[in-house]
Amino acid sequence: MQKRSDGRLVAYLDGEIEMAERREIEAWLATDPAARETLAALGESANLLRLAFDEVVHEPVPDRLIAAARGETVVEETGARVVPFKRRQTAIPSALTRRWWMGMPIAASLVGLLLGSVVAYLGVAKLAPGNIAGKQPAVEMAAADSAWLDNAAGYFKLSVSAGDGGLVDVPATGDPREALQKISQSLPQEVRLPDLKPWGLNFRGARLVVADGRPAAQLVYTTDNKAIGPLSLIIGSSKEPDIPPTLARRQDVNLLYWRHQGRAYALVGQSDIGYLWGIANDVAWQLDAV
Amino acid sequence: MSLSQKLAGSPVRLVSDRDPVSNRFSDQLIAVLPRLRRFARGLTGSAVEADDLVQAACERALARQHQFQEGTRFDSWMFRIVQTIWIDQIRARDVRKEDGDTAERLGSDEPVRQVEARLALDEVRRAVDRLAPDQRIALLLVTVDGLSYKEAAEVVRVPVGTIMSRLARARIALLQQLEAGGGMRRSIKDAEAQ
Repeated sequence: MQKRSDGRLVAYLDGEIEMAERREIEAWLATDPAARETLAALGESANLLRLAFDEVVHEPVPDRLIAAARGETVVEETGARVVPFKRRQTAIPSALTRRWWMGMPIAASLVGLLLGSVVAYLGVAKLAPGNIAGKQPAVEMAAADSAWLDNAAGYFKLSVSAGDGGLVDVPATGDPREALQKISQSLPQEVRLPDLKPWGLNFRGARLVVADGRPAAQLVYTTDNKAIGPLSLIIGSSKEPDIPPTLARRQDVNLLYWRHQGRAYALVGQSDIGYLWGIANDVAWQLDAV
Repeated sequence: MSLSQKLAGSPVRLVSDRDPVSNRFSDQLIAVLPRLRRFARGLTGSAVEADDLVQAACERALARQHQFQEGTRFDSWMFRIVQTIWIDQIRARDVRKEDGDTAERLGSDEPVRQVEARLALDEVRRAVDRLAPDQRIALLLVTVDGLSYKEAAEVVRVPVGTIMSRLARARIALLQQLEAGGGMRRSIKDAEAQ
């Protein structure tokens, strides 16, 4: 028999002991009130400990850490709302040194905050190259495709207001690809499903919607991460020429949209533009859509 | 045509010229950031130092991403990097932080019940801060982050029995400190109230 000790109680509490020893400890607890009291106190202190640090995981992750994870360093200038990015000062792999502009989405989000709703609501202004850090073109606000974007934002809001119950034609039960196959039957082109689990986004289902007068698929994703929030990816067809990724805003909804080889894409959500940009990056890569 | 070539003419670039492996690597890294921050907060006892630590860990991970073995747990690999950097730091200097948070909060208009709850949780954090580094690591990995003893042992690269004994000492020391400081007398419901 193992020595009776508080340490054994800790392992017992953590479910880290074998069945035979578990029975020994339970027999001990049955006859020793002090051991039961210690076990309860250990359990309570563990709960307090988890509570003490739980809030950290619900805090928004600072931009500088997102940038660091992408291989960039953020430097905030005193008195400036714009956060320029600079090359890392430390030795890094050569493949990463070309990525100075990867931080632009975050800078763009701060520019968006700075400009406020005036430019965003107008939706026609273009930020001149050099407005961010005086160097590069940053965010091109949407001028065209207004109705398409209005609809995309509307579909997103509908899906959010429907909640977890879901306003989806085809729920993502079992194999989510089946949902896509069913939706694709109503579309001129097959729709593929990007896997956004690395972002904590779970595919909830798909809806058949209308965009630009043609059927389109709305892929609905949800997440517990409030910094990212629910997202919709709308994939439709288009006869218009390709356009590069472009940012637009409809009230409190951000959209990144682009067209590529007869398809129109819009990633729609209320998350920070930096997140939206990164996720759209992932979508485009997975779908070979850029 | 490669992705980078496709992107070359795009005036507003959506997709990076990172290779797919780097993209996936960064995505994994971003996904685990909240847990790394919590782990680092427990180690350092300071929000600013914790984020500095996580940033340093991100930079080291990116520089050494070729060392990560596919098929192994990415979060464990990152926890190991964070704890390695932290151990290096505390060996290099005796880190003692000033805890100004409590005084600041006491001066606020928070209801008494919430203040007490905050005090209880502050006390827990201070108790963690007083633990030996190896005990603190075991406690944060297992009790806070929920790793099994075996997973924590893999992160720290010690036998499971070592994790078990470090954790037992940490939990008992924590309990003793909280009982001595009155933390356990404050209702856990107070803590939950906030």
